[in-house]
Amino acid sequence: MNAEAAVFYVFGAITVLSAAVVVLARSLIYSAFALLFTFFGVAGLYVLLGADFLAATQLLIYVGGILVLLLFGVMLTHKLYDLDLRSEVTQFLAGIIVASGLFVIVIFVAVRTQWATGPGRPPSVTTAEVGRLFMGQYLLPFEAASILLLVALMGAAMIVRRRRDA
Amino acid sequence: MAEVLTSMKRFEPALILTGATLLVVLVDATGVRWRDGAGRILTIAGLLLALVRSVELRDVSAEIFGGMAVVDPLGSFFQALLIAASLLVVLAFTFRNSRELHGQGQGEFYALLLAVTLSNVLLATANDLAMLYLALEMVSITSYVMVAYMKGDRMSNEASLKYILFGAVSTGAMLYGLSLLYGLTGTTSLPAIRDFLAAGLVDSNRLAIYAIALLIFSGFGFKTATVPFHFWCPDVYQGAPTPVTAFLSVAPKAAGFAIMIRFFYAGLAAPRTGPWDLAGTIDWVHVLMIISVLSMTVGNVAALTQTNMKRLLAYSSIAHAGYIMMGVVALSQNGARALMIYLLAYLVMNLGAFLVVTLIHLHDGTFDLRDYPGLYRRSPFLTVAMAVFLLSLMGIPPLVGFMGKLYVFAAVVERGRSYYGYAAVGAVNAAIAAYYYARVLKTMVMDNPPAEKPPFRLAFADATWVSILLLGNVLPLLWWARIDGWARSSLSLYAGQ
Amino acid sequence: MITLQHYLIVSAALFSLGMLGILTRRNAVNVLMGVELVLNSANLNLVAFSRFGSGNLQGQLFAVFVIVIAAAEVAVALAIVLTLYRLRRTSNLDAADILRG
Repeated sequence: MNAEAAVFYVFGAITVLSAAVVVLARSLIYSAFALLFTFFGVAGLYVLLGADFLAATQLLIYVGGILVLLLFGVMLTHKLYDLDLRSEVTQFLAGIIVASGLFVIVIFVAVRTQWATGPGRPPSVTTAEVGRLFMGQYLLPFEAASILLLVALMGAAMIVRRRRDA
Repeated sequence: MAEVLTSMKRFEPALILTGATLLVVLVDATGVRWRDGAGRILTIAGLLLALVRSVELRDVSAEIFGGMAVVDPLGSFFQALLIAASLLVVLAFTFRNSRELHGQGQGEFYALLLAVTLSNVLLATANDLAMLYLALEMVSITSYVMVAYMKGDRMSNEASLKYILFGAVSTGAMLYGLSLLYGLTGTTSLPAIRDFLAAGLVDSNRLAIYAIALLIFSGFGFKTATVPFHFWCPDVYQGAPTPVTAFLSVAPKAAGFAIMIRFFYAGLAAPRTGPWDLAGTIDWVHVLMIISVLSMTVGNVAALTQTNMKRLLAYSSIAHAGYIMMGVVALSQNGARALMIYLLAYLVMNLGAFLVVTLIHLHDGTFDLRDYPGLYRRSPFLTVAMAVFLLSLMGIPPLVGFMGKLYVFAAVVERGRSYYGYAAVGAVNAAIAAYYYARVLKTMVMDNPPAEKPPFRLAFADATWVSILLLGNVLPLLWWARIDGWARSSLSLYAGQ
Repeated sequence: MITLQHYLIVSAALFSLGMLGILTRRNAVNVLMGVELVLNSANLNLVAFSRFGSGNLQGQLFAVFVIVIAAAEVAVALAIVLTLYRLRRTSNLDAADILRG
């Protein structure tokens, strides 16, 4: 087993095991912290795949932004002093059956399919190239995403603000 | 740089909408007293300008912005349709005639409406999986906010919660499908995917294509509210403010169908003889047929027992999505044209029905069908208008709804004997639908009210817009050749070099 | 030797776990966490295909947009969940039960 394989298995295990904790943990706080490890694991896999820019983005936005937002969500919607942070589970058996069915199908597709082959992309620094593409070919989605963020922030602020007359 | 400049010239409708969105946000942020009126005027002006530009650009056919989007006659048709839908909603539904919007901030509403319109336009012209997903999510996220517009209202909040959770899951599943499609073809550009698939498919990849198609359809199904991705629809339509419901029932649905035909025709299904005759990489017809039949049946049967008008129209819109799907099932040039005609008709008839429902709510404060008896005596005009909209939804000649049904059924039947059974199911469904639309009319005209209520006083602007939508259900038949010609000439996709 | 299939299996596991969370959890924030797992699994696919397949950057750029969209979606979703909490004092989905029919 070479170094690459060892690193892959470590990050892969972190990702999948912590994801299982996210889904199965009784407490919302445990789920949120397990999610932190999932995001880290995925970021590690990105580095292994030679996507350095994306790995940094994953850490900044997912860990620094989305996870913090989710934690705020947990804290603001629960009374911390009576520690009622449990999250109920329903229809667990049905859920397990559907999810394992999906797992089998997706694995089958992943293994059986002849995916597009090509030269591949040996790990290299991607940031400069990504930046060029954002300002070139991907200019339209780049600008559209900025509108999306503006509208989403405006909308989120509007929704939580109390009515003036209330 | 030169490419970006030419692209911008060809993308003017979207740029105008972006500019209008930002201006409305800025004007609203100033906090001056006339900001509400200015926001409305800016919105209407922006939409009108974008509409004119999108019609003017109807003959151009090219890739723009490095292949991220396209301008083509089909895109121009849908742009015009989508912008017109927003325009009609802004004009006909106001903060005065919608009781639910009383006291809510206006600037944000107009900014959001413009942003959804922009996203709809982007979705209808997307030519790359990344752009497709981004535009779809833009439409969704802005719609979630619009549904939650009534602050402090439990129903609005609950509707938006269900909408966003259901939407996040279905678009997540769709994204997984898109990622597999990228893996299978090695590209995210729709024309390149089509070229790859047209070259033939290894047998072992057939399962992957089915899985991908089903996963991706969960996103399209969510946007168009087709079974089995319709669960959010009745709750969201009931909980959202009625102008938003009216808007959601026409515009994002049309955008969903626009990207569906673009995706199937320009991306997944390989043409056999002509550009619009598709043999397909897999047996699309049966998958799509099942979805279409389920949508009609579930929608119509569930609508039979509804007493809340918004909920009834929600189930009716699921059923109509099933009829519109018939145009996709036909997988032919006539099928695509039938879909476009149907969407045009659906725009005027559904907005009309929702406008009448809003006006009744303004006066009586109810959406319940059980409070509708006696309306005929109190306002004959509104009752007649509602009758026309419902008969049009039913598909009775000589109204535009009939033309829509005529086109989709004709497109399906001409595909051959094996489609007759499917067309028959559609016909039975139309009969079921006639029952509950007729029930609404019977309640309004024939049932006796429990107590006398004061007569209706309709504001002049409201009466005008009801009349305009009313004429919109009848007059187009006088210029039918033109409308048909417009749809026919729009049947041209940009298909790559 | 680590191949494409290794990554696809990790991603398949993430996808199914995410779906399991979505299907079985009753708390809105928890469902959102499930959605994030699904989005991460799709992103992992995109990057893996970009590395082993065609070698173009399209997959990676797609993934960047997915992350941005996820951030916007979570912001709006949490605003809605907070409002639910303000109105009902809970973020459990069972509380969202007025709209029926």
